[in-house]
Amino acid sequence: MSILRQVMCRTAPSSMQICVRYASNQDVAPLDLNTALARPEEVEQRNKLSGKITVPVDVNLSPISGVPEEHVRDRRVRIHIPPKNAMQSGTDNLSKWQIEFDNRERWENPLMGWASTGDPLSNMNVQFGSKDEAITYCERNGWRWFVDGDDKPKKERVKNYGVNFSWNKRTRVSTK
Amino acid sequence: MAKFLGINRLAKLFQIIRESGGLKQTYLKLYRNDDLKIGTLVGIDKYGNKYFENPYYFYGRNRWIEFAPHVNMDYDGSQIPADWYGWMHYKTDLPPIRDGSRPKYKWLADHSENLSGTKEAYMPYSTTPPKVEAWDPKAKK
Amino acid sequence: MIRAPLVKALGALSSPTHQIQIGSRAVRTTAVIAQQAPAKAPEKIEVFVDDIPVQVLPGTTVLQAAAQIGVEIPRFCYHERLAVAGNCRMCLVEVEKSPKPVAACAMPVMKGWRIKTNSDLTRKAREGVMEFLLMNHPLDCPICDQGGECDLQDQAMAFGSDRSRFTDINYTGKRAVEDKDIGPLVKTIMTRCIHCTRCVRFASEIAGVDDLGTTGRGNDMQIGTYVEKLFLTELSGNVIDLCPVGALTNKPYSFVARPWEIRKVSSIDVLDAVGSNIVVSTRTNEVLRILPRENEDVNEEWLADKSRFACDGLKRQRLVAPMVRMPNGELQAVEWEGALIAVAKALKKANGQVAGVSGQLADVESLVALKDLVNRLEGETLVTEQGFIKGAGSDVRANYLLNSTIAGLEEADAVLLVGTNPRYEAPLVNTRLRKAYVHNELQIASIGPKIDLSYQHENLGADASLIKDVCSGTHAFSKVLEGAKKPAIIIGADLLERPDGAAIHATILDYCQKLKKKDWNPFNVLQNNAAQVGALDVGYQAGVEAVIKAQPKVLFLLNADAGKLTREQLPKDCFIVYIGSHGDNGASIADAVLPGAAYTEKQAIYVNTEGRPQQTLTAVSPPGMAREDWKILRAISEVVSTPLPYDTLDELRSRLEDLGPHLTRLGELEPASLSEAGSQATISKSINGGPIDVKQKELRDYFMTDAVSRASPTMAKCISAVNKQQRQNEQAKQSVAI
Repeated sequence: MSILRQVMCRTAPSSMQICVRYASNQDVAPLDLNTALARPEEVEQRNKLSGKITVPVDVNLSPISGVPEEHVRDRRVRIHIPPKNAMQSGTDNLSKWQIEFDNRERWENPLMGWASTGDPLSNMNVQFGSKDEAITYCERNGWRWFVDGDDKPKKERVKNYGVNFSWNKRTRVSTK
Repeated sequence: MAKFLGINRLAKLFQIIRESGGLKQTYLKLYRNDDLKIGTLVGIDKYGNKYFENPYYFYGRNRWIEFAPHVNMDYDGSQIPADWYGWMHYKTDLPPIRDGSRPKYKWLADHSENLSGTKEAYMPYSTTPPKVEAWDPKAKK
Repeated sequence: MIRAPLVKALGALSSPTHQIQIGSRAVRTTAVIAQQAPAKAPEKIEVFVDDIPVQVLPGTTVLQAAAQIGVEIPRFCYHERLAVAGNCRMCLVEVEKSPKPVAACAMPVMKGWRIKTNSDLTRKAREGVMEFLLMNHPLDCPICDQGGECDLQDQAMAFGSDRSRFTDINYTGKRAVEDKDIGPLVKTIMTRCIHCTRCVRFASEIAGVDDLGTTGRGNDMQIGTYVEKLFLTELSGNVIDLCPVGALTNKPYSFVARPWEIRKVSSIDVLDAVGSNIVVSTRTNEVLRILPRENEDVNEEWLADKSRFACDGLKRQRLVAPMVRMPNGELQAVEWEGALIAVAKALKKANGQVAGVSGQLADVESLVALKDLVNRLEGETLVTEQGFIKGAGSDVRANYLLNSTIAGLEEADAVLLVGTNPRYEAPLVNTRLRKAYVHNELQIASIGPKIDLSYQHENLGADASLIKDVCSGTHAFSKVLEGAKKPAIIIGADLLERPDGAAIHATILDYCQKLKKKDWNPFNVLQNNAAQVGALDVGYQAGVEAVIKAQPKVLFLLNADAGKLTREQLPKDCFIVYIGSHGDNGASIADAVLPGAAYTEKQAIYVNTEGRPQQTLTAVSPPGMAREDWKILRAISEVVSTPLPYDTLDELRSRLEDLGPHLTRLGELEPASLSEAGSQATISKSINGGPIDVKQKELRDYFMTDAVSRASPTMAKCISAVNKQQRQNEQAKQSVAI
């Protein structure tokens, strides 16, 4: 499944993805008190009278979002968790999933040497609570996407201060 | 009556044609300047531009220039030299030929017109070193 | 102060959960027990971090227990992958009923402990420690290269006091320490040092060189190299990352950029076959530096120096325009159209006599595109520059992979290295071996020249017949291998290029059938370039001999820069087309040079030595007229009117999937089973070659191995630094002799 996703990102979404879409908390409308308190038959009645039926269809916002065609068709979105900066030990910003667009050409300003880009999406940094939310977002906007990296559980390692001084192990420290 | 019939305008037109030197010359003038005016020749600068004035026309249109014939259609406002600029733009009513108080130093530079759009136009160039050094096949390693 | 955790730690060692294995060579740590005997997992104990219950293994430190529920205790000296030092005291936390705050990084938790990570006492302790640290730390953040990604800065903001009581500036002043010259890669500003000793521990534990250490104590303590010398190892760049302050910074990158102006692109390193995960830092379309990215299975958190510092080679010696050799014999820059037409003309004339050679830096996409193009032109000869055993050896995937996996080598307990120097061929594989050596009592022997591997190993000799001895079970080390739980034999890729390479390969493969365990494959080939596994996976033959034999009319060199093929070996009228990023050996013999993209400039798949496909991402755009390699090949196919059936990267990737489904499962490892058929083609020839040698014996051989690192000025500086150091050592020896 995940391979299929990675390679053929924009094929028709499977049923699982639809489930995911509605399970995602971003799509839940705010609770209406009347609806919440109504009895089941009342709800049914109201639904019948409302004259509308909800059909779970593929939502694609790209025709009405105003995003230029070329930035929908040709873009590839990478969904990932930002990597830890090797220079710092803090890990607070590494829990969110993030989308990132493919890097486009930049060119140099002939006078000053500054870099310019024609890519309006190059600075778009959107963070999501989960991978599926990010996928839903990309699907709705009509972007091809792939998930890079998985949140693997961290390997547990036992640290021991005593091994620095053990007399018969190679863990004994030589320099201090 | 003549005014009412517009005959005076017709007379003016004939006068212009006459002073311009015939129908052909009038046509060429109109073609080049998009305008037909007659006035007194105030002066000619060293580049061959002729400056005219006619208070008959309204302020703003009563001083004009006929550019030197050799520039042809490639005339440009920036071909007016600095000394005539003031008179053309009503900064002064004294044209340079009549204004004796203007200093004339030897070192005054020649007037140069705006070169934008020509080959000599100024092109900025990068002052930063190139970010990528290309391989030179001739350079021996 | 240090005594308290020490006593606790020693107490923990003798606790009943830590059993001593009778009969093993040494007392093993709990970590080893947990790895080796998962059946008897020790019972978890419950502690409370900020009143939240946490279940942890016995022996877990307070800091780790807190990390499990996402509470990060500030630290400077503690690092996940280094030994516990417990000397910065930043991680002091309050534990209920404990008279003093405890150092969270060194103290193992006890059952039922209530740890308070944000209590008044804890905060006061942190503020106190921070105040002491800042007292002797210069206020030069505005001119410090670490500014913006500095742990001291961050933690002073988060945990420090809001004011200073330091008024002594006019009397004794701040501590000042002389800077040290430790090499062309690492710049030191020793006044900034807070004595966390991470660099010292890294050097002695991971890199295995005891060059760094501390002298003096208290306020006069200094980190240094004891005597004046350079800190020269293939892993020296990692101390820059480890340093929590700006005491050790990146010399080539100094004063270049600030972390907040940088764009970070996750990518893969291709300068060795490990496939280290990297982050490419770019600004204004320029690669500024390369940092490691955490990947437990490949490079942990380290990066070798060549991968880290050779990035300035991406800006020099670049091919920026297509070139065609003129009748006067000189290469001249032309437009793409002209170059493609010149190539197409030659291809039309070639009449199917077309061949391709791929080099060290070729990505899988362009390899496939070249293969498809050559096949469509009715050519058959597609080879890699790097040789391998002759015959059908590359049909079975397990024959050329590092089957024990890089992470798996950590668990090995007996390793035989045959004709390889992993320290320089794949530094991060060597750190795994060293890790196993330190923590897993790994026994290592090598067949080959005497080399320094940064750990003790037994050199069996350089004679090739030793392989036969070991594999027949008569050698003393065979007993060690056969008795080991997870034995491994690692063969250098260069060794298999020898005429008797096939015999060596088959002999060892046979022996490995015997050593094979469940879920453990002891047969390993350590490739030394990033393209090799990918090329063999998509069906390239190994070795340029096939090309010399085929005498093609048109020869494609895809990033082939090793210089193994010369003009003299090819027919006079052979038209050589070079596709690649750098002007090097390949471009200088070519008739048409088509500028390709370097690994930071394309989205491309590389397969590392253990067979793990990973992709690079575009960090910057290719310079000048350079284009992605597969697109160039696609364009050539269009001009010769046999268009390849893919227009986009996605279409090409699905073609890749047809060739090998594992190639697009990025980041995942497809276990290749050791085939029984592998040994069928056995020992027709016996092992009879001369003594076994390796190419990279010393550090100076390490720095320049491919087109990118050969173009890098930093790498050149490294080599001259190594030479200088050696001269000094010799002079010192002479003066002692006098």
